[in-house]
Amino acid sequence: MNAAIPILTLGGLAAFFALLSIITASIVGPRRYNRAKLDAYECGIEPTPQPIGGGKFPVKYYLTAMLFIVFDIEIVFLYPWAVSFDQLGMFGFIEMVSFIVTLLAVYAYVWRRGGLEWD
Amino acid sequence: MNTTTDDYFNAFTMDPWWPIVFAKVLGLFILLVLIVLITIWAERRVVGRMQMRIGPNRVGPLGLLQSLMDGVKLAFKEEIFPTAADKFVYILAPILATIPAFLAWAVIPLGPMVWMFGYQTPLQLTDFPVSVLYIVAIASIGIYGIVLAGWSSGSTYALLGGLRSSAQMISYEVAMGLSFVAVFLYAGSASTSQIVAAQEKTWYIILLLPSFLIYVTAMVGETNRAPFDLPEAEGELVGGFHTEYSTLKFAVFFLAEYINLVTVSALATTLFLGGWRAPYPISLWAGANEGWWPLVWFLGKLCGFIFVFIWLRGTLPRLRYDQFMKFGWKFLMPVSLVWILIVGFARAMRNDYNWDLRQTVIVIAVPIIAILIVMYIIESIRERRADAAVAEEEEARTEFDPMAGGFPVPPMPGQSYTPTRRSKATVGVTALPVSTDAEIEEA
Amino acid sequence: MTGLATVMLSVIDTGEQITFWICGSLALIGALGMVLSRKAVHSALWIAMTMINLACLYMAQGALFLGMVQIIVYTGAVMMLFLFVLMLVGVDSSDSVVETIRGQRLAAGLAGLAFALMLIAVISRVTLGDVGTQGADAVYGGNLQGLAALIFGKYLLAFEVTSALLITAAIGAMILAHRERIEPKKEQKDLSKERFLSGEHPGSLPPPGVYARHNAVDTPALLPDGTLAENSVPASLRARGAIRTVDRALGDEVQQLAAGDGSLEGEDLR
Repeated sequence: MNAAIPILTLGGLAAFFALLSIITASIVGPRRYNRAKLDAYECGIEPTPQPIGGGKFPVKYYLTAMLFIVFDIEIVFLYPWAVSFDQLGMFGFIEMVSFIVTLLAVYAYVWRRGGLEWD
Repeated sequence: MNTTTDDYFNAFTMDPWWPIVFAKVLGLFILLVLIVLITIWAERRVVGRMQMRIGPNRVGPLGLLQSLMDGVKLAFKEEIFPTAADKFVYILAPILATIPAFLAWAVIPLGPMVWMFGYQTPLQLTDFPVSVLYIVAIASIGIYGIVLAGWSSGSTYALLGGLRSSAQMISYEVAMGLSFVAVFLYAGSASTSQIVAAQEKTWYIILLLPSFLIYVTAMVGETNRAPFDLPEAEGELVGGFHTEYSTLKFAVFFLAEYINLVTVSALATTLFLGGWRAPYPISLWAGANEGWWPLVWFLGKLCGFIFVFIWLRGTLPRLRYDQFMKFGWKFLMPVSLVWILIVGFARAMRNDYNWDLRQTVIVIAVPIIAILIVMYIIESIRERRADAAVAEEEEARTEFDPMAGGFPVPPMPGQSYTPTRRSKATVGVTALPVSTDAEIEEA
Repeated sequence: MTGLATVMLSVIDTGEQITFWICGSLALIGALGMVLSRKAVHSALWIAMTMINLACLYMAQGALFLGMVQIIVYTGAVMMLFLFVLMLVGVDSSDSVVETIRGQRLAAGLAGLAFALMLIAVISRVTLGDVGTQGADAVYGGNLQGLAALIFGKYLLAFEVTSALLITAAIGAMILAHRERIEPKKEQKDLSKERFLSGEHPGSLPPPGVYARHNAVDTPALLPDGTLAENSVPASLRARGAIRTVDRALGDEVQQLAAGDGSLEGEDLR
């Protein structure tokens, strides 16, 4: 038996359950058309018209996502290092220290420039 | 999928699909749905008690059937597709949130080897050498459900909720990922069952307390629970990403959210609380870690975590968004990185130079305390200087000379711009005289 | 090509073959969907599907860690970055299909064909020796251990240089996306000071009017003397002109109600 089979079985069951719920609800539930009901909910007022061609993108999110990628990759390198730490010995530790310290330097730079502030 | 040569992982490949894998999958599914129903009920009851009221107690004994009845009620509600919604993604999003929520449980070890239908098999669906990473990967797919729900609804509140929760989840995923490293380092493996096996003598909560605390904080942020429930801040965003969802589509989101809560608790149990191993006084009894008993210890620890989640919700107010992000990026992350370096140093010294614990603690603690003291002094001096600078700036603010640097520059925010003679003249030209109605009538 | 196919068939078992055909075709469908869909978010979804299927293919070949990393880093982090940008593009906007450069499609088709030919030429010449990771895993005692031994041993320099790459990425993001703060951030104390010193009403504004038949934020409340409380309607609604004008639409009735005239009670005012 393959390790993927149980995962596929569980995923299949979950997918079946989710689909079944969604389909059941659409059959069982009532349907009373009302235009106002289908508008986006904004606490009772007419919904704000969506800007044509998309709104302005708060560039802050881009910075957060980019920093996340940088540190995510760092973490990904940490995993095999941690698992075979005992085999790699002191040399492996020193390697990782130099890697982490380099990234801590850029972390300090981003902090100092205010890249981690959020308004 | 090829497993390693390790015999342990072969135990999972021995399971026949019928009846073992099938029974395990079905059992796991039922267990999860039951846990979720009970958790929702328990949350309402416990929060009720904490707020000096009773909570739901009408449907079934002690109100136990309340959450099931809520689900049934939701099924009979009208299905709504908002006009501005992207219909395909709108339906896809709840499915995409549910499947990963269940899938993460495939590698959680619920117990040791047990007898099931005449087969001996581990009480765990499957396992492979990187199963903790599998949970992280699956969780990162689960974020898609939330983001897409927010986007596809075509509503401002939902969009903002989706954006916020994904920014929040990725920010806390860094701290969460870092907290695993120390565990892998001590266990020498990234597989859930082997991490549990490595905790036979000491649980990692004792050895790696800082990692545990970082993980627990990050897991509350990851699951969007109070006090980090900003994506659903009712006062600001109504319901967040699921504002526009109704019927069982909403229920399915709810289910996924609660399964995620249980999943992170189960992972905390597995990584730091010895998984299914019996707690101290019970572990003296030889039979405590055999057969089906461990399932009881595991579920007990799980209930403890769930209670803490509910307790947090009943106690703490919601954080402000900037404070929340600051906490994740400026506190949890550097602390976990430094902690990893400390753990690595201690481990390397023990391996290569046979240092004992006392020696290591002294060598690590003395410089750290020294650094902290120096940092405190520097910080207090800097703060005093910054205060003085602010006061000075406020005085200087009123005056602004655009030609101070030798060439004209626009004013900075807060500086007032005293127009020169030339700019006044320009203003005079552009401001054309407007004739009033009375003047027109006269003409 | 045939040589390659036979070599591959001889080394991979049926389970792996099934995985290959399912995940391979799904990955291809995802790639096509990415190119063909008009909406940017749909494209992002399709490419996420391709990435996940590629991860499955890696895992089917025994590269478990690589497969997980593919999902964690690419699907979880890189695609999330794309989605952040794309989400702000509205639901109903889609790409225009007008060609901006003349002959663009023809050129792209030719380039694609040339690339495919080159790939086929290269791949068909490949001779496969020891395929799969089992052998390597056995030497180091596991996939992760093997990777660690290589990354932190043989490819040490590449690993350390990666940190320079990550620094470049972070600094690049800072330069492109960070707006320098030129004035100190307003804390709660400053905001509160500002609010009170401005001389305007510092507390919350009066709630909108409720006339037992219309409960909405667009209806202004009436003050005790019967005049309208302008600031009980949100400023954005005022600017949009979406105020339900009490005095004009409902006219005298509201004024009468405000004046305490009981004769209107129970009457349908609409």
